[in-house]
Parts: sequence; C-alpha cells; structure tokens
Amino acid sequence: MSRIGVFICHCGENISRTVDVEQVAAQAALMPGVAFAVDYKYMCSDPGQNLVKNAITEHRLTHVVVAACSPRMHERTFRKAVEQAGLNPFLCEMANIREHCSWVHEDREEATDKAIEIVGMLVERVKKNRVLPTITVPVTKRALVIGGGIAGIQAALDIADAGHQVVLVEREPSIGGHMAQLSETFPTLDCSQCIMTPKMVDVANHPNITLHTYSEIEQVDGYIGNFQITVRKKARSVDEHKCTGCGVCMTKCPQKKIPNSFDCNLGTRTAIYVPFPQAVPNVPVIDRENCTMFKSGKCGVCQKACGPGAVDFEQQDQLIVEPVGAIVVSTGFELYRITEKTKGSPIKGYGEFGHGKIPDVIDGMTFERLASASGPTGGKIQRPSDGKEPKQVVFIQCVGSRSREKGISYCSKVCCMYTAKHTMLYHHKVHDGQAYVFFMDARVPGKSYDEFWRRAIEDEEAVYIRGMVSRLYQKGDKIVVMGSDISVGVQVEIEADLVVLATAVQPQKGADLLAQKLGISYDKYNFYSEAHAKLRPVECATAGIYLAGACQGPKDIPDTVSQASAAAAKVMTLFAKDKLEREPIVARVKESGCVGCFACKKVCAYGAIEEKEIRDRQGNLVKVVAYVNPGVCAGCGTCQATCPSKSVELDGYTDEQIVAMIEAL
Amino acid sequence: MTQTIDISSYSAITDAIRNEARRILSDSTVSAVIGYTAGRRKGSTQPIVITTADDADQLIFSAACLNDLVVYLTKAKKDVPKGGRIGIVVKGCDLKALVGLLGESQLKRENLYLIGIPCSGVLGSLLKPAAELTTETIASKCCECTDQLPVGCDFVPTVTPTPLPDLEKRYANEIARLEAMNPSERWEFWKEQFSKCIKCYACRQVCPFCFCEQCLCDRNRPQMVEQTPRPLGNTAWHLMRAMHLAGRCAGCGECERVCPMDIPLNLLNRKMAKELKELFNSEAGFEVREAGPLTSYREDDDQSFIR
Repeated sequence: MSRIGVFICHCGENISRTVDVEQVAAQAALMPGVAFAVDYKYMCSDPGQNLVKNAITEHRLTHVVVAACSPRMHERTFRKAVEQAGLNPFLCEMANIREHCSWVHEDREEATDKAIEIVGMLVERVKKNRVLPTITVPVTKRALVIGGGIAGIQAALDIADAGHQVVLVEREPSIGGHMAQLSETFPTLDCSQCIMTPKMVDVANHPNITLHTYSEIEQVDGYIGNFQITVRKKARSVDEHKCTGCGVCMTKCPQKKIPNSFDCNLGTRTAIYVPFPQAVPNVPVIDRENCTMFKSGKCGVCQKACGPGAVDFEQQDQLIVEPVGAIVVSTGFELYRITEKTKGSPIKGYGEFGHGKIPDVIDGMTFERLASASGPTGGKIQRPSDGKEPKQVVFIQCVGSRSREKGISYCSKVCCMYTAKHTMLYHHKVHDGQAYVFFMDARVPGKSYDEFWRRAIEDEEAVYIRGMVSRLYQKGDKIVVMGSDISVGVQVEIEADLVVLATAVQPQKGADLLAQKLGISYDKYNFYSEAHAKLRPVECATAGIYLAGACQGPKDIPDTVSQASAAAAKVMTLFAKDKLEREPIVARVKESGCVGCFACKKVCAYGAIEEKEIRDRQGNLVKVVAYVNPGVCAGCGTCQATCPSKSVELDGYTDEQIVAMIEAL
Repeated sequence: MTQTIDISSYSAITDAIRNEARRILSDSTVSAVIGYTAGRRKGSTQPIVITTADDADQLIFSAACLNDLVVYLTKAKKDVPKGGRIGIVVKGCDLKALVGLLGESQLKRENLYLIGIPCSGVLGSLLKPAAELTTETIASKCCECTDQLPVGCDFVPTVTPTPLPDLEKRYANEIARLEAMNPSERWEFWKEQFSKCIKCYACRQVCPFCFCEQCLCDRNRPQMVEQTPRPLGNTAWHLMRAMHLAGRCAGCGECERVCPMDIPLNLLNRKMAKELKELFNSEAGFEVREAGPLTSYREDDDQSFIR
C-alpha cells in the first residue's frame, strides 16, 4: 500500500499567484494512496526540504510527489532530500505546476483545476516507480580541448598542470588563434605576441599535453567520463618528427605569391609554410591546393632542400582515436565578412560600406595586422591600395552588430575597446594623423576600461562622432564617408584615407556541425549554449562537455581566460572522482518478450544496445536478445518507442506508468 | 475482356522443384523442404514439410499455391526441424518477406536453401481452387507485380514466366479513389471496414512479419488494445498493425486473403508502402537492408511533416 506525500510549492508567488495551492493540497490529500499533502512558500529552501524529510519519517511515506517547478530545475534537489530521509531517491517525482501551469495560464480557477490534474497524474505514476540503484561508471582522467586559441591554451595548461593528460586539437597548422594575430591588447597595451607565445611554447613542452594541430574532430562517441574521440589529423605533407623547423623549404619554394590569411591577405606566403614565425609547432605544412608538386606533379624543390628528409608528398590523413573523460570546447570566433553573403542566411550584409570593393576599407583584424610589429608592414600603418600613410582614418563601430534589421541583434562586446585601442595605436604611429570614430554608444564596462576609452579621446585626440554612417564611396584616392552626428543633429562628410570597420564577432564556420557531433545545443547564431545562463555558465547541457571563450558568445581576452580556467576547474572537479554516479533512468529489456529483431539497436543513438545470447543449462542457444548497457544508455527512450513488442522499457517512464497517468486524467 | 493467363510452365516448374528437393534431401544439403502439395479438394493445395527424398514427388506448384510459406520459418514451425539448413519454395513476393526477415535478424541466409519460382501469377482466392487463371481470377497483388522472377535464390527452374497482360492495377486505383476523398469520408470508409473485424487475428497469424512471441495486443499490463471486437479496439488494432508493418510489409497479401470479414488489409499496407516510397524512397526488395526506413535517420530525410 502506497503512502504518498504530496508537497505543493508556492514558488514565492510564481505558482500561488495563479494556482490556489491550498486547494491543490486539500484535493491531493483525498487522492487514493496519498497519506499527506501540504503547501509551502519555498519548498526548495532549507526549511522546505526539511518539511519533506520530516514528513517522510512522521507519516511513514513510501513515495513523494513535489508539485513545483520543472524537474530540470529541482528534481535533483528533492531526490537528494528524499534520500537523506532514507527513501530511494527515485521514489520521488516532480509535478510541474509552474512552467506547465501557472506561468502559462491566467484564469485562476482553471489553472487550479489543471494543477490538481497534474498532481493526480504524478501520484498515479509514482506508485509504479521502482527502487533504482545508482549506476557507477569509471572516469577516464584525460581531457580533450577543441581549439587552440587563448581559451583552449589556458584550459589545456590548467588541466595539465593539475596532473591530468590533455589532448589539444587545433584545426590550423599552429595554435595561437586570433590572439596571435593581434598587435597590442587593451587595456594595458601590452604586445599580444609577447604574452601569448610563451604560453604557446608551454603547451608544446608540457609533458601532459598531446598536441594535434592541422586536425579536426571526426567523430564523438561515448558519454561523460568515457568519450571516444576520433581525430582526423590532416596530411601535413611534412613529418613532424623529422622536421627541425629550419625553414629552408620555405625559402626554396617557387610559389611565393599566395595570400597569407594569417595577415588577412595583406602579405604573401609560400606553398610550404608556417602561418607565422612563432608558430607552435614550428613545422611547415604544404598547402596542397597551391603547391606546384600537387598541381602538376613536377617540382619537389622543398623535398630536395630538406636536410632531414621530412617532406613527404605521399602523407595521408590519419584517424586517431583518443579516449577522454571530459571535453572543453573553445573553437572561438571569426569576423563577420560583409562581402560574403551566405545563401539562406538571415544576415544581410553591409554592401553600402564597400568592404571588399574599396581596397582601403578594411576590418578590425586587418588593422591589427597593419599595426603589428610582426605584420606585413612591420608595424607601419600603410594603406593596402598604395602603401601611403593615411592621414585621416575613420573607424566605424557596430558593423553587423546590434542591428535586428540586418540579422544580428547582439553586441559584439569587444569592438568599443579595440576601436579605442586602434585610435591610440594610430596616433602613436602617425603623429599628424586624425582618427574619427562613428559610434552608437560606448560600451566599456570592465576594469580600467572606461579610463582607457576616455584616454583615447582626451589624451590621444580621437574624435568620437555619435551616429552611424550611411554610405561610403571612393573619390579619387580618398574615401568619402557620409554619416550623421546625432548629438548635434548635422550631417557629417569626411574624406578619409582609410576606413576601418568594427565588424561583428560570429562563431566559426561549421560551429553547428561540430555541435551536432558533440550533441551540444547552440543558438540561432550558432553560438554554443551553456546549461544555465547564470548558474552554469561554462557547462553544456550535455554532461562532461564545457565551454570556453568566444564560441559561447563574444568575449574579450580577460573574460575568455577566466572562462577557460573555470572550464578547467570543472574538468578537474570531474576528475577528482574515480567513479561517476549516473542516474539509473535507463532502458531495460524484458528478455521473455524480446524476439531479437534489434530495431532498438538500429535506432539507439548512443550505441548502448548489444546482442546477448540466452542459453539453457546444457549450453544450447535458446535465442539472441537485446541487452542495454546501463553505463552507456542515456535514457532517451527511443528504443522503447521503436520496439514492436514493447519488450524494452525505460525505468521511470514505463508504458504502465504513462497509461496510469493518462487514466488519472 | 477476360483473358486466360498461360500457366503451362507450372508443370515444368513442378518437375524441377521435385528433382531439386530430391537432390538436396538425399545429399543432406538440407534437413527439410517446405513447399506445396495437393490438397483434398480438386485443384487445391496446402503447405507441406518433407524430410526425406522419397517424399519429393508430393511437391507441386500450381496457380493455387497462394500461401506465403515464409511464415513457417519463424512461427508456424511445428513440423520444421530445429537444426540444419532448410529448403523453402518461394515466389517473388514471398522472397521479399524472407529478405525482410533476414534484415531483422530473424533468419540467417546460410541456414536456408531457396528454391525460387518463376511465377506467372496465382489465384486471388482458394474458394474455387480449380478455376482457370484469368485476368479476372488472378490475385490483386499479381496485377501490380514487378518481381515475377526471384533474385538471389540457390535454385530457380530455367523457365521464363509468362509476361503478365496489361492488368487493372486494383490497389493503385483503390488508393487513388481513397486519396481523392476528404479526410472525414476516408475515415468513414475505414471505420466501416474496421467495424467488421471479429478479432480472430488470422491476419496476424499468417503474416511473416508478425513474429513477436507475445503480441502487444495480448499484453494486459498495461492493456494497449482492447480485446473484445468493438469499433474502438478494432481501430486501435488495425492502426497498430499498419504502423508496425510500415516500411517492412513485402506485399504478399496473405492478411487480406485470410480475413474472414473481407477487410481490405493489404490496401492499408499498400498505402503505407506508397507513403514510405514517397517520403524515404524506400520499398521492400530482394536486397537485405541493414535498417528499415523507420529505424534509420538520415540528414536528408524529409522533415516537411514537422510544422
């Protein structure tokens, strides 16, 4: 005989505003099997939980229904409380009368009736809950970090310093990411390369870090604590172990005029190349699309020049399987390229700014390369078109960002600060030059940020014009910038030598495809979603996967590094245990009914279903049935929906329970 | 115009089956052969399981060989030996069901010896088993058959099946008629059909794909399908059957033939098959499929139904 306790939460006023909780409690008390029903203002609070615990002892409760918010919110809380009172935690169920009821209804009477129905359904369901033992699974104390920018580097170093093995996978030939491209960094103007390259070298030298550059994630299998990652190590055409990084191959390569994407195509590189001199690893890669040997089969100059014989034209892509227990995703961002309008994309582009058509209209990253001491101009500010020093430079902010009409409604967060920095760098290098900035408003919260922005205006003579630019056009060797100054309400026209657009920060191309491989969620812009915006900002909803850096949303370097360390801390917390406890909400096969058609095995997305032989005492094969590996099963229930004879059921969601719920209506 | 269909090849086929059965039984290739033999009434046939070469002469093939013998491999196998390789006589439509069972791990190809029939068509009913095979008496499934010659068998008599004359596509026409109705008219049609059901489950027993040891409709915790023959439970049963067969049914039409209440069961199955062909470009054939259209997911699957 069940003795069920029903606990109805007011959720402050969230529930009690629309639902008459006292009446729900009164009605629940009359339901068959219910021994005790009570309402309380905040059931999840300490006194609320104590109310549940005490009632279990006092009223000798066998099952508990908590009518409150979504189980996603507090199921764990109450199951823990129930366990502390000596009941099996899986004998406790949540009735969602907040998201499913009070929040979506206005009529108090109807909402109350519905709340009573929901509670009634859960009362019927909980009666058929089984005592479930917790499942423990081993943890592989080895982490995967995807993306070797500053976020990935920081996370990898932190985890590796804690004594755990880390596999760092980077798509490009070198780690470093966008930070390696920057000239100087706000708000202290220290040289990006100077603070970045030592960390890159640390990664290369760390005994706990395995680095796979020029590699991509091919396949992700498994689950928290036990992932199997297939990494595609693309053919570099250079043997990493033999290469000494002397660079002779690059000096000999006859293909010298390939635009260097690291320098935003301002400079050129050879077909066998390292993206930049401080690259880690310092091993060149052959760009097979542009290499004469690969195009025509004749050349091989680099191979002849290579002393250690590291150049290998025959090299193939390699697939490497890495077992890991946790994953940090830090794939970063790319800049919104307004010339490239993607088909089907809601993003409309900014054709009126002439980016891609007028050579002296550049984006922020290109300006970084112009200002960088290691850049194509050696740090001299020169126009891409004729190499002249620009005397009037116009910076335009919020290009792409914060415009619902154009497709991106979010703020890219870093542009206000980097544009202020650009005006300073420009002023430091071109003393007689003038910088103008068109801006909507300056968003500079952050330690020493406002001071930095004010310094750009007050000490470094940048002219800030509040308003947007409507149009740009080439006139002789000048670019006419037409805009408005809304603070005084006049039209402004500036003849500029160079225009720099602060284009929006977007997730990397293919971010959605990676998310699908990982099974993590992403928003409409393809930024990865955290499990909870406030309370779980670095975790994905998928267990064992964590986020760091701009792949989650636009971020500057300090925020990125903080988040990377936070993600690393989460990984270390996971690795602090030898075994993981898993929810035992998994599928079970009723072997007597199973006929071994294995439809379940075909639909299982987690590879949790195996074939199991049933033999009699003499060892004769009776039949082959399905078996669910409880360590792998994610409890999605697809097998249950597929099985024609209903011989596999998900604990906690059995057909009997679902039918009982329907019949309670 | 009623036209006679030439089935003179059936006597040659009978001889070839007998010889082959004799051979494979005497050299112990197989432990039994499942085939057809003459029934008591003139012209009628019935299934038979033979285990000795001497019995091979009992085997026949005629226009009255309607049964899909594949069902004997999975459930109605009282006389079929448990071990060893089994020989079985299959028409094209039967073979498609057998191939489906291979894909669903119910049979192993190496345990079977397939004797394929170059089929020129069979009767629609066994009520008059001695009737002549004509464009009128031929089974509805034969009217739309594209698989007269089975593929991938161990033995097929070297006989060319008679090309079928231009026959009225009965199922296709009926589906077109139903599709032209509005939903409530269509619902009325099926409600009427299902109301006739007496829950004898002959359709289930004869279906090679209904191989579950315990059918969902025999379960009572919870009871998914009402057991007494009443309109609601009848509808539940037939919808469940249609859904469970969607993407699997090979179109042997046995369910419709055995239904004592003349419910057009294969019409429902053909409609489901048409849907799956249109949605997923998938249909039953002679090739073993790893996973059926409803147990696999592809990125390019039609998702227009999600609204």
